[in-house]
Amino acid sequence: MLVELGHFSVVIALVLSFAGIITPLIGLKTRNATWVVVGRRAVLSTFVLITIGMFILIYSYLVEDYSVKYIYATSNSKLPIFYKVAGLWGGHEGSLLLWAWILSLYCALATLIHWKSQPVVMPYLILIESIVLTGFLMLILFLSNPFERIFPVPLDGKDLNPLLQDPAMVVHPPLLYLGYVGLSIPFSFAMAALFSGRLGEEWLKATQRWTIFAWLCLTCGILMGGYWAYYELGWGGYWGWDPVENAAFMPWLVATAFLHSTMVQEKRKMFKVWNLFLIILAFSLSLIGTFLVRSGILSSVHSFAADPGRGVFILGFVTFMLVLSFGTLMIRAPKLRSQIKMDSMVSRESAFLFNNLFFLVALATVFVGTLYPLAMEVLEFQKVSVGAPYYNAVFMPVALGLIFLMGVGPYIPWRKSSSENLKKLFVIPMLFSLGMTGLFFVAGVRKPYALAGLAVVFFVLAAIFLDFNKLASFWAKREKSNRFQGFFSAYRNNPRRITGIIIHIGVLVMVVGIIFSSMYQTEKILIMKPGEEVNLQAFQLRMANLYGVKGVNWTGQEALFDVYKEGQIITQMHPQKRFYTVSQTPTTETAIYQTKMGHLFVTIPEVAPDGSWARVRILHNPLVLWVWYGGGIMAIGAFMNIFRRVRKNRMPVTDPAGMVPEVSANIPQPTR
Amino acid sequence: MAGKKFGIIFSVLIVVGGLGYLAFGRFGENLVYFVTPSEVVTFGSDRYGKKIRVAGMVVEASMKVIPETLKIRFDLTDGDKTIPVAFEGVPPDLFKEGKGAVVEGYWDGDQVLHSHMIMAKHEEDYMPIEMKQAGVKLPTKGLIKTLKVD
Repeated sequence: MLVELGHFSVVIALVLSFAGIITPLIGLKTRNATWVVVGRRAVLSTFVLITIGMFILIYSYLVEDYSVKYIYATSNSKLPIFYKVAGLWGGHEGSLLLWAWILSLYCALATLIHWKSQPVVMPYLILIESIVLTGFLMLILFLSNPFERIFPVPLDGKDLNPLLQDPAMVVHPPLLYLGYVGLSIPFSFAMAALFSGRLGEEWLKATQRWTIFAWLCLTCGILMGGYWAYYELGWGGYWGWDPVENAAFMPWLVATAFLHSTMVQEKRKMFKVWNLFLIILAFSLSLIGTFLVRSGILSSVHSFAADPGRGVFILGFVTFMLVLSFGTLMIRAPKLRSQIKMDSMVSRESAFLFNNLFFLVALATVFVGTLYPLAMEVLEFQKVSVGAPYYNAVFMPVALGLIFLMGVGPYIPWRKSSSENLKKLFVIPMLFSLGMTGLFFVAGVRKPYALAGLAVVFFVLAAIFLDFNKLASFWAKREKSNRFQGFFSAYRNNPRRITGIIIHIGVLVMVVGIIFSSMYQTEKILIMKPGEEVNLQAFQLRMANLYGVKGVNWTGQEALFDVYKEGQIITQMHPQKRFYTVSQTPTTETAIYQTKMGHLFVTIPEVAPDGSWARVRILHNPLVLWVWYGGGIMAIGAFMNIFRRVRKNRMPVTDPAGMVPEVSANIPQPTR
Repeated sequence: MAGKKFGIIFSVLIVVGGLGYLAFGRFGENLVYFVTPSEVVTFGSDRYGKKIRVAGMVVEASMKVIPETLKIRFDLTDGDKTIPVAFEGVPPDLFKEGKGAVVEGYWDGDQVLHSHMIMAKHEEDYMPIEMKQAGVKLPTKGLIKTLKVD
């Protein structure tokens, strides 16, 4: 009965989200705010209702109600509680419900937070969010219902895919969805700006934190997925240019470009149409990503079934959203000319321009690589796949360019820079970078891309250090304190800039990790019997034993390795080959030993039936953890940016120039 | 002013052109074609040594593990034609006789598919029941078509 209650509340939520489309439309037409208030109540209740539906489903997981088909397919009585709850997003239907719940959560929060400060935006926000929510709820209720029952009731569930029984996989989908769906808020504000004609910088200022929060979640979600792939799939890498990874990476690329280009509009009132285009593109790519992953077009751990009905529905819905948003942009764009032209090639504006250019080239590359094989297949030509060399050919130069710009963009002045100024800013970083790269060359780093990467990383590091030093001494002098305190004053006075630079430092750390772990990975694959030894780099591994082990829902074999370095035993490692008994699936469990500067990574992908030998794969991944350390620093920077304190003492709160968008005079009032 | 504008547009074009060339100048070389064993057996010498992905079923009782090495030999079939595969490396967890697999490698003059990478198909258990039923009804050709890379 409870499950039917959950089902019913989601049905009501669909009706109310439909009301959320109608009421703001009536409100806008009749210019009657009461209708908008009704719309707000509709979206708030939608959130409550979907929450009820979701919690009932989670409760049913916990009480092991396998009469629900979806629970039967993604859970089992032997699963630990943690994974029982996570089973909700372990399959297609529940993932969509989670998507819809997060969307309604964002929508409810946005209406609560901005209700007083952004009254003009509210009807449009409710309207746009409700359109998206209606689409998703229809998909859930009509084509992939998680509340559906089966009869006869099975005794036990089929188990959650063993690959997903992992802590990283429990948080990966919610984080990714928080990122995908979070982009819907700036998207809605942008659409509101387009519809209402209030096309100043207001919408950017109001949504900056929403965008960076979405970006933070997307970043963490992608990194978490990479970490999971790294140790759970056991192939030793974290990024494979898999279409499903690309689906999450594409909105990230555009959101990052957007976060940068908005600064140009805020400071110089340029790139107006471009920013609207970028945020519409970013959210569209979120929807396309959902389409790619959820329609079953791509087959992988992420897609659970190929049901043509769902695919057609999502494709139709995505097309509708694309036409609606890009159509509106095209109609409105001619009214949005920026009055300011770019002054010089050597300016911060042009650094941002090239930043965006690089990001969009990267996007185009991923987009073509992901969709070309699909297009080929749909057109019945031939099935093809696009390999990593294609992506690497573009991404390595693009990454070098972007990192180089990280050392230029934040420091070069707006409008125009003199050559003296350039010398003062960049000669020291250049020399430092040359010197450090030379040192690495002498130390034995000879691969051109590794050297080029290190050169730009050191260039940026020096530029950051010089800037921090300058800021610190400026504030130290002004407040008559030491440099350390001076730096904190600098942070207090411009937290947005400093947090941005912290994110840049995170990127640098990550890049160093990527360079070394991908270009200087060493590998050995061999057959080993207990008692045998093998050397890799400075390590010596001895397989001491090979024996059977047993878990709650799996049986398997485990190898015991003694790891020696310079004749001393430093650790023991236990890679496993598991067989999940319920789902009849084998998995390979990685053993990882963290050395000072990297990872020793051991798997046993195959064990002889009689247990006499095992196929062993040993990898040394230098600096691989830096990838996630860098990600952590990026996350801290983004977090500090979201929760920064608003400056009070330097500028008056009301800025008369900012109140009236400077183009509003040219725009006729909407004739609704 | 016109000169500056030209400079900006020109440098943008150079960057886009250069990167575009990197991406698509050798796009064809970076494509890996999916073929079936029936297509592979018709290959002429011009297609020897080119990277391909072959989708098929691993023939029951055809797998031979060569002792003390990482080499495995097995046969791959699409129900019509069967080809021998010489594989060296680590097969994926789900690689089994009688199951679907996608083998990446190259076909050579010795009429053997040489491979270092196999992608196995996920179990149908993770599909809803109606799909499983539908899967049973699929004809052989359609079955090969539904095999996708993991």
